[in-house]
Amino acid sequence: MHGVSTPPASCVAWADDFDEWRQQARQLLQAGIPPSRVTWHDGEARHDDLFASPTISERPPSPEGASTPISIGRDQLTLLRNAARYRPRGSEQPRWPLLYRVVWRMVQGDATAMHAADDDGRVLHQRWHAIKREAHHMHAFLRFHRRDDAHGERYVAWFEPAHEILDLGAEHFADRMGGSRWIIATPGGGVSWDGTTLDYRAPCPENWTREARAAANRPNADEEHALWRTYFVSTFNPARLNHKVMTQHMPQRFWRHLSEGDLIPTMEAKARHGGQRLAQETSVGQRQGKALNVKLPADATSLPSRQRDDAPTD
Amino acid sequence: MELIDKLSILADAAKYDASCASSGAPKRSSRGKAGLGSSSGMGICHSFTPDGRCVSLLKVLLTNFCLFDCQYCVNRRSSNVPRARFTPEEVVRLTLSFYRRNTISGLFLSSGIIRSSDYTMEQLIRVARLLRETHQFRGYIHLKAIPEADPRLLEEAGRYADRLSANIELPTLTSLKTLAPEKELGTIHAAMGHIRQGIDATNDDIARDARHLPRSANPKRMAPRYAPGGQSTQMIVGADATDDRTILQSAQHLYRDFRLKRVYYSAFSPIPERPAGLPQAAPPLLREHRLYQADFLIRSYGFQAEELLNAPGNLDLEIDPKLAWALAHRNDFPVDLNRAEPAMIARVPGIGLRSVQRLVDLRRLRRIRYQDLVALRCRLDTLRPFVVTQDYRPTDADRDSTRLRQHLTAPQPAQMALW
Repeated sequence: MHGVSTPPASCVAWADDFDEWRQQARQLLQAGIPPSRVTWHDGEARHDDLFASPTISERPPSPEGASTPISIGRDQLTLLRNAARYRPRGSEQPRWPLLYRVVWRMVQGDATAMHAADDDGRVLHQRWHAIKREAHHMHAFLRFHRRDDAHGERYVAWFEPAHEILDLGAEHFADRMGGSRWIIATPGGGVSWDGTTLDYRAPCPENWTREARAAANRPNADEEHALWRTYFVSTFNPARLNHKVMTQHMPQRFWRHLSEGDLIPTMEAKARHGGQRLAQETSVGQRQGKALNVKLPADATSLPSRQRDDAPTD
Repeated sequence: MELIDKLSILADAAKYDASCASSGAPKRSSRGKAGLGSSSGMGICHSFTPDGRCVSLLKVLLTNFCLFDCQYCVNRRSSNVPRARFTPEEVVRLTLSFYRRNTISGLFLSSGIIRSSDYTMEQLIRVARLLRETHQFRGYIHLKAIPEADPRLLEEAGRYADRLSANIELPTLTSLKTLAPEKELGTIHAAMGHIRQGIDATNDDIARDARHLPRSANPKRMAPRYAPGGQSTQMIVGADATDDRTILQSAQHLYRDFRLKRVYYSAFSPIPERPAGLPQAAPPLLREHRLYQADFLIRSYGFQAEELLNAPGNLDLEIDPKLAWALAHRNDFPVDLNRAEPAMIARVPGIGLRSVQRLVDLRRLRRIRYQDLVALRCRLDTLRPFVVTQDYRPTDADRDSTRLRQHLTAPQPAQMALW
């Protein structure tokens, strides 16, 4: 039957992470298989399906496709790689079909596919933005608890990231903590730093999880935490109470693991019930005050650089 | 006095300074080195207090004993507040301990003036030196510059600090005379000038080194840095009758003459033992917010203070300064997004700088349509009367500004409750 074109064959592809997806996507593009013909499986969903179509590696490469080099810019690759860290929730699009559709369109010559005003591009940009924000949350709201062992100083932390950003956090803390040893445990994986190398584990070893969770749940165990809580209360200005801005910047899901988190409702309640009149923290106002009796020269409009030795000391 | 009591008093005494930024520092890392701390140029807010302000640095005074009698200040010598003084070692201990627990990204240290301005500045420098040299601390350090101190001390402070700030507090000579008799505008400006010279000199060195060094050498690491995060200042809003135009003009002047990184506006908060003549009212937070918006328009959008306020007075509290400007300049609108200069697109209310860049990128690929503004999540309600796209012209382009303003500020109709 001449004149009837055969529809492109369909395919099933699996990927656990971005590099696997990239490899699969390259083969699919070279075979010229459009997005509508590919069924993607993500991570653990892999199982033998009686009715599954052949995977791409089981198919012979199409002769004309194999010679076409697939190239994509570095910035674009960064966008794809980072958008793939996003864990879609509920009815949000799964990551691999979205990414494949975008690169397919790019290869077809549609340069707008990755622009923020495009229907697909917008989702990529929003996801990358969410990733940056979540990595920033980890840099900001992760708390280390000191748990020394036989080898000396050591810190542990428990953190619950919404997306796959553990490595972004770990790199940051390796720069920040220098020679101090630490472990970070999360529901997904864990990472430790011995002062020279990062050691990633997935899933997170059970003893790390146990230790980190225990530390996070008893955050007020030492004097340093009491100092921090005191600072947090004192630096708050009750006259400027603004619940909305606070929760915008520091979502409530993080409060549970902050050593100051449980103070917030009390501070707000106190400020609402009368504490809002003054900027000063109430407990400071209740202390004994001290006005200073300073003898100033008759012409006291400006203070000379090096004259007064009559200053009060503590 | 116990350390915890000192901390309680000296953090309370320091919170009137609005600045808490930890951004603008050069890249530093402690990976594989002795010592502690890093900076990436991006600030980190480690917590937020219920006033919505970020906790990025340990912000304390070295002491709240003070010889000055600035009326708006809780720590003035005539104020009956509890007093305390940290030793430099105590501040170092708190900084390092908080830093290791990841609750701060550095230290912001200020102080009341004790003994002399030079002595006070020397004490601040001592803390910074201990952190940087003894403990090899690579986190962020912001030091208060005491304006009356010897320029050589400011020079030294800039070698340790990422940022220096001299607070102007009140923008006019008369307000300073009445409320802060020991402060002098001339001295504060002179200090800002010294700091600027220090920063400029280092930048020149870096630029010169960059031309002559082999490419592999990082010029930033070769030249000694001087306050790489720049300098900032603070103005108090609402303590006296100074209007927004005066405040914004002096901010503009500071940005231009001293190349300040930031001017902070701090709504005057009622203090205990309030001297006569100072307001007892709640801090004017909305006014402060409008000033920050106007400041941002001046720093990043190319607006002049005089454009935003062409007569003495305050910014409109009801609408933001960009919308106010657009309503007062209807002749410049609507703007055709497919043809206009980027600087003009940036003046459209409801379109931010990032969207400007994206629109300019997009129109190289194809014509801009109204749907693109939806996808870019611009503020559609605001921008609707001010733009033209390939498929859209505003129907209310001829409506006069007063009616347009009424329309834009009208409360959104809420759905009635069923019962």
